[in-house]
Amino acid sequence: MTAISQNASTALLNEKRFPLGLSERIKSIRSLYEEAKVARWDPYRDVAWRGLDATGVDARTAEAARRFWSQRAWTEYTGLAETPALLVRFCLELDREADPKYFLTVRNTEEAWSIECFHRIAEAMGGYLCEPTDAAWKPVYNQHLYKVALDARNALDPYVAVHCALEDGLEYDLFRAFGEHASQPVIRSVLDKVTASKLRHAKFGWLYLETRAARMDHRAREAVASHVVAWVGNVLWQGYHVPSLSSAIDTTCDVEDRRLLAAAGLGAAPAAEEEAVVIDALARARRRLAELDIELPLVQHPRLGGV
Amino acid sequence: MTTAYAEIPTILDAPEQRFPLDLGVRIPKIRDLLRNATHNQWNPATDIDWDALDPEDFTDEQRLGARYYWSRRAWGEYGAISESPSLQIRYCQGKFAPDMRLYFTIRSQEESRHAEVCFRMAERLGGYFEAPQQAAFQGAVATHGVRRAALDPEASLESTIAALVCAAEEIAFDVFRHLVEMTPNPVARQVCKLIMRDEVRHCAFGWHFINSRLPHMSPKEIEDMRQAVITMIEKVELNGYHSAWLAPVTPSTAIEMAHDRLTWEAGLGAIVEELEKPVFAASIARIRAQMKSAWGIDIPMFRHHKFATEI
Repeated sequence: MTAISQNASTALLNEKRFPLGLSERIKSIRSLYEEAKVARWDPYRDVAWRGLDATGVDARTAEAARRFWSQRAWTEYTGLAETPALLVRFCLELDREADPKYFLTVRNTEEAWSIECFHRIAEAMGGYLCEPTDAAWKPVYNQHLYKVALDARNALDPYVAVHCALEDGLEYDLFRAFGEHASQPVIRSVLDKVTASKLRHAKFGWLYLETRAARMDHRAREAVASHVVAWVGNVLWQGYHVPSLSSAIDTTCDVEDRRLLAAAGLGAAPAAEEEAVVIDALARARRRLAELDIELPLVQHPRLGGV
Repeated sequence: MTTAYAEIPTILDAPEQRFPLDLGVRIPKIRDLLRNATHNQWNPATDIDWDALDPEDFTDEQRLGARYYWSRRAWGEYGAISESPSLQIRYCQGKFAPDMRLYFTIRSQEESRHAEVCFRMAERLGGYFEAPQQAAFQGAVATHGVRRAALDPEASLESTIAALVCAAEEIAFDVFRHLVEMTPNPVARQVCKLIMRDEVRHCAFGWHFINSRLPHMSPKEIEDMRQAVITMIEKVELNGYHSAWLAPVTPSTAIEMAHDRLTWEAGLGAIVEELEKPVFAASIARIRAQMKSAWGIDIPMFRHHKFATEI
């Protein structure tokens, strides 16, 4: 269940390593890499973890927090195998710039730190959950993106458009919303750090897409649009980022969890607000894609209609 | 634009099975490496005193040699950006300890720092080269086959890590430690020192992983691992993968050795055959002893025409 169709086998590009360009070719992305190195942080020392425990949190809310923060760890975990796959793909492609390769190595570390933090928050709230209670969610999370990223039969640019520009952009917007409902100081500080890294990840996707769009022909632009539509339908509408958007799985518990956590200031946004973030993010992405001559049609959601 | 591709069976072909998703500490020493690496991050752009390196202090010939030397180092580090991340995919797909999956992210970032700092050294000395002076040398620095091994469902991860990390990286580390001790130029020494600090963790990772796996390995798997180490030393290291003077004599290796000597004479960070020889032999002896005591395996003595006796 991914944006891009999958083959049973995997086609791996043959690398032609030389000439090996390491100079700056995309100034904006090189700057982002430099910025990320300077903004480095330490989740083990820069977060006052002793200030986080379930004392004073009622049992229902603590359970909700365990579920929510475990979900965040599962979602973030996608990047742990996807980013190295994307990095290798960039290296295998002939004549791709060094700037995104450097940047992706930093992105992956930031993903690991985020996972560590989300895991630790879930642990503090009573214990991390290693799988969804409802097994129907498992296929939603099994994105298999590392294969999609590496398979040479899938064009790289639509992949970057979907997963680095739109998807990382949406994640940034969602984390900003989570931050607005985080009065608990430790969770707030984690969200501040993670949101800053997510902003860089989203910038990377859009900057790279803008660089590539300049040389895309009509067919390539259509490919980007069709991949975005497929991702919205196959991933976003299945509830991967916002569970309440799923029309196939009962999300009553997820909606209630978010209500409780938002009220307690534990870093989740109410489901309706999450959905509003998605709608707004898609509208902004559509306008931004239009500036690149990529026309994104409305995508039908069973409950929301054309979004 | 892409080049041709190959469709071969890989670990990628099996569907992702993310759950149950364990994120706990399973190999504490590797989780400690992640914490230490996080704490000890550095930035090639700001943490090196680049102004202290004046290219005018060196002759044109020395600068040219050093530019090639540091470019070659960058090509070597780049291999860990282009290939080693495949190992992380293997750890995730194979559900190896979470500590490995998390630690390897920062390990790849460190490799990109190393490529960047070597590139900056070459640039500072007059300019980075995008390829060896002679195309014939490209094969020697292009790949050590890690990507293929990492994605090959038939290849044992333990064998790959033992050969690549506990043998090859250990040899490279010993040479690097020697470079830190004997390089007079303060900027080149600082670069070597910062890289070496990261490499300590990279090597430790391999030993911690194999130590955690050893109780679960069959005698055949341990023997396969031993053979992989022998092959790495015999066919890769003694064939000049890290040290051009060990490679079969060709015009292209002679050129690379000349670059090394010019760089060494300038005090800019290379090492030459007569100095590296005892370091290399001691490194093989150390690895042999460590594998015997930690894993109970016997690594044989090796012959090479550059050494008067077996090493």
